[in-house]
Amino acid sequence: MIDLTQILQSLVNGVGVGLIYGLVGIGFCVIYNASGIVNFAQGVFVMLGGMVCHTLLTRLGMPLIVAAILSVPVVAGIGMIIEICVVRPMWNRGAALFAIILATIATQIMIERITILTLGDQPRTFEEFTLGGPLKIANIAISYQLFWILGCGALMVFLLFLFFTKTKAGRALRACSQNREAAALLGIPVHHMLLLSFALSAGLGAVAGILVTPTQYTAFNVGTPFGVNGFIAAIIGGFGSAGGALAGGVLLGVAQAAAIVVFGAGFKNVAALSMLLVVLLMFPQGIFSAFKGSGKGH
Amino acid sequence: MTSPNITSTNTVYTVAVPVAAVLSVLGIALSSSGYVVTLIGFAAIYGVFCTGLNFFMGYTGQASFGQNAFAALGGYGSAILTANYYWDPVLALLVSMVLSGVIAAAVGYPTLRLRGHYLAMATFALGLITYEISIEWNSLTQGYMGLSGIPPLGIGKYELVSEKHQLIVLTFVMLLGVWVSVRLRDSRFGRALRAIAGSEAAANALGINVARYKLAAFVVAAIYASVAGSLFAHFVGFISPEVFGASMVILSFTMLYLGGVGTTWGPIIGALIVSLLPEVLRGLKEMQDVVYSVVLIAILIFAPRGLSGLAVLFQRKQTGESKQTGMNP
Repeated sequence: MIDLTQILQSLVNGVGVGLIYGLVGIGFCVIYNASGIVNFAQGVFVMLGGMVCHTLLTRLGMPLIVAAILSVPVVAGIGMIIEICVVRPMWNRGAALFAIILATIATQIMIERITILTLGDQPRTFEEFTLGGPLKIANIAISYQLFWILGCGALMVFLLFLFFTKTKAGRALRACSQNREAAALLGIPVHHMLLLSFALSAGLGAVAGILVTPTQYTAFNVGTPFGVNGFIAAIIGGFGSAGGALAGGVLLGVAQAAAIVVFGAGFKNVAALSMLLVVLLMFPQGIFSAFKGSGKGH
Repeated sequence: MTSPNITSTNTVYTVAVPVAAVLSVLGIALSSSGYVVTLIGFAAIYGVFCTGLNFFMGYTGQASFGQNAFAALGGYGSAILTANYYWDPVLALLVSMVLSGVIAAAVGYPTLRLRGHYLAMATFALGLITYEISIEWNSLTQGYMGLSGIPPLGIGKYELVSEKHQLIVLTFVMLLGVWVSVRLRDSRFGRALRAIAGSEAAANALGINVARYKLAAFVVAAIYASVAGSLFAHFVGFISPEVFGASMVILSFTMLYLGGVGTTWGPIIGALIVSLLPEVLRGLKEMQDVVYSVVLIAILIFAPRGLSGLAVLFQRKQTGESKQTGMNP
């Protein structure tokens, strides 16, 4: 029998993991807006965030906060390397869309294999940022990590908002997303913007990975589910809007948590992927655009 | 979309030479040791798979990153029907083929309406869903453990016990697959597909039902994938979810792009070279997937037409043909 506590508990868990999907989804949007490219290797940044942080913690013995803060630029650097070595050469040669997508999938597999070879294939985790807990409210357990996820998620969205509205680079990125040729004519270095967008989106993925690892685990292969779920979040939100992606992520997380309660944990990914197909087929412009009446076309 | 040299009617170069090459590779394999036989067998199986993929990507100009789903269907269909229910392998193969075709039609009907990265992600998800199901549906697939005890190919009492006999059959199935794909490509159906690859709007204006033809091409590719999966199950005698995982996508695309997308023999050449790589790079056992990924990325960047691009260069010098531009699937 499913009782109210169970439902509320899964709701709480769903919101937590949903925010993570939202952050990954924003990562998709940042690159897509800057270039029209969908980076299928997005999930790899989530995996790398957790793995790099864990490595810094255990092998170099850094304090958790230092390791967490250091991991983000490291992963952002890896994102920039991917842009320089894989995406930019194809972009310059005017490669077909499918070829670029295929190259990013190959990049993901490559990074996963390299991770196995260097760090091993064992799942690992590290402790929550604030020890103690979980906080109990009438039989519903809320781990302190959820508050970290909420707080950091909000902070990220706020910082992104400031970046896109107040800074020159952020405005240039938005100009690129509206019209790349016009932006180039106005003297915006479009190539640098692509690099910047990869760094940003890798950094976002890393933050998501670091935040989520204490609540579950990280291993070489967690990237694909996070990437796919983030993509779903971005699509639900109408691909391209950061706020929409975040809301889409929460919606997806809650739906998935409900699916786990009803069907059991084994088919969690099947449920998510089926949801992807349903959303793609029924709401290709995002769920929220259905309410607005006029969706933003691509 | 297509280059004139590929569709030329010069049968010596398009049929006789490649078939002779395939048969001589078969001959070399038959006179060598067991390991080479296995590798060439894999090459033939992947040749079938990539020919199907080529049909959908090269000729029709669509993309599917989830063809491994149908290979898994074929493989598991054959394995379960022959190992658990003692069906005849050929009958099991045909039934799995039909099943894959029906499922491809049902899944493809809504999915193929999508375009660009939506289509890419949706097909990618198909492969992932199938992978997850093959892990989670324990009672049917035995999860990570995989299914073993799959008998070799055969009809009735006649089983192909030796690997070399199997290799001969695999090679002829592959040649049959190539022949069917060529016949299809040059038929009215195939010309419609190539029109779609060129421009959907123009094809539509010519009275081609774009959605229906795309779906048909998808079903054809799925049937090829299913046959490849079945052949794999019988050849190895064991399958597990990992066999049909995401690395299969990378592997098959490496083969397809190395040989040349949209060419008749490119997928076969690619499958042969990539299958022989582990033999050449023995020291790189663990690095295999990394190497495949790097090779694929390098081809995508520097030579998106693969080895067939070399042939085009050669031909161009001979005929003094002017430079072609913008051929990309």
